[in-house]
Amino acid sequence: MSEKAILFDTSRCTGCHACQIACKCWNNLPSPTGLNENKFSGSHQNPPDINGTTRLIMTYTENEATIATKRVNWAFGRRACQHCTDAPCASICPAGAIYIDEATGMVTTDDSKCVACQYCSTACPFDVPRYDGVQGKINKCTGCVDRIENGMAPACVTTCQPEALDFGDRDEMIAKAEERLANLKARGYEDACIYGVEEMGGLHVIQVLKYGVEAHGQVANPQKSAVTTLTEIMKPVTGVVSGVTVLGLAAMFGLAAGYKRDKVVYNPETEDTVSLITGDVVQHGDPQDDKSVKEHITENLPVGKKGGSHE
Amino acid sequence: MSSEKIQVSPEQRAKDDAFLEDRKQKGTERYIVRHSKQARITHGVTIIACILLCISGLFVFVPPLAQAVGADAVFVVRMAHRVIGVVFVAVPLVSAILAPKGVAHIFKNLFAKWDSDDKKWMLLFFPYLFMAKWIHMPDQSEVKSGQRFADGMLWFSGALMGVTGVIMLLGSTVFDLDGGVYGVVLLLHDIGFLLIAVFGLAHIFLGAGIFQPYRGTHKLMFGDGMVSESDALYHWGHWARKEIASGEHVVEK
Repeated sequence: MSEKAILFDTSRCTGCHACQIACKCWNNLPSPTGLNENKFSGSHQNPPDINGTTRLIMTYTENEATIATKRVNWAFGRRACQHCTDAPCASICPAGAIYIDEATGMVTTDDSKCVACQYCSTACPFDVPRYDGVQGKINKCTGCVDRIENGMAPACVTTCQPEALDFGDRDEMIAKAEERLANLKARGYEDACIYGVEEMGGLHVIQVLKYGVEAHGQVANPQKSAVTTLTEIMKPVTGVVSGVTVLGLAAMFGLAAGYKRDKVVYNPETEDTVSLITGDVVQHGDPQDDKSVKEHITENLPVGKKGGSHE
Repeated sequence: MSSEKIQVSPEQRAKDDAFLEDRKQKGTERYIVRHSKQARITHGVTIIACILLCISGLFVFVPPLAQAVGADAVFVVRMAHRVIGVVFVAVPLVSAILAPKGVAHIFKNLFAKWDSDDKKWMLLFFPYLFMAKWIHMPDQSEVKSGQRFADGMLWFSGALMGVTGVIMLLGSTVFDLDGGVYGVVLLLHDIGFLLIAVFGLAHIFLGAGIFQPYRGTHKLMFGDGMVSESDALYHWGHWARKEIASGEHVVEK
């Protein structure tokens, strides 16, 4: 199977929410059913953001009109996993619960492996994986890999009546997006662009953004964060540093084998520190040491000037 | 302290001989009380919690380990990590509230000014670790300079782990912590773990007396909290002489 992608053409979207509902239905995700249980977002956007039980939402952004024939630029957007090729959520997941499906390139999940550490939430440049406190699992769009494996398109795509959503080989979807972009440009949409071809190594959700990146709520130039990179580096660094420490301590232990020293006592009357074994006075008073560091190191070496040791 | 023989006056020699003879007759040894019972209990509980936290944390930190035991086992371990984490944070805090003077004493020692013996001791420490049979270390005060640094790092990394752990615990239960902030806190928690691993291993190696010149030091925290006169003179010479001269914390047995 070749690399797949979902195409979202915002110029065809009617903002009907059907994709959002289809996602809920196919994945058996609950919704609040109480009166006014969802907070009002100030727009048609409902719920206000993706959450532990909502993997996909439509976004609605109103901006000042840039086209003479329109009174407002009403930009519909799709907020869900973008299925990055370089997916930091998959690389940082310690449990292998988020992984890239080799056949499709979709970033999918295996709930049974999720340990709810939420590393993925911290790593995603799109702030997508959400923690479902009830299930104790992370929730995000799986790309409907289960459907794709059975010859179907993702649930959101299947339900889209105005055909704003499409699904197929990634190359084919990019080609379609370019055609539609050309059409939009010809109609005077100067800010229109394609999103997802290069971002994060190439996304598997290709979008035609009628009013530009920001207008549709997309992240301009998404990057893997430095914190994520450092968090990934910390694991091998900690392993190596701890290993070196253990080896160093083992070497110290080996080199000190057979160490022994005389018992000493202190006579406060004379201020002498005396060896209990030989009776020799080894120190008088309590002065600051007057030898150099080099003298300390070399004075008792068996091959040094003076020879001798503790033993 | 050197082991070289020092020449003293005949009068002094006679007094030292009499002193040694008296000690021989008594057949006892002097010990200096170093750690209170409360300090030992706090240290014991904290160290057990710390070791358990390190082990349980590894199940999330090391991917192959998490994958080997499966999500359900990791879930149990994670929940245990949270409970033990509360013990790790709460016990030292309660202990500090019960003994504020003890806390002040610890931090006074940690931030004490380094004298020339302290600086020399630190410079000699790494050569000493590999050449302990031949290198005599300068005398030290109640807390060695290197010990001040290492203990300070353990205090710092322990506090870092505690604070970041509490933030993550609350951020996933009481309030919803922003993903970016959670990431930074997680990174700091991981850095704290690295520091704890390195300084904790060294602390165990020296403090538990695995390192031959430090044999017996485990009794200071896991025994009766007392150090023999001879060991005290070896490890903390300046402190030991002051203590023996004052006799306040000296026990003969």
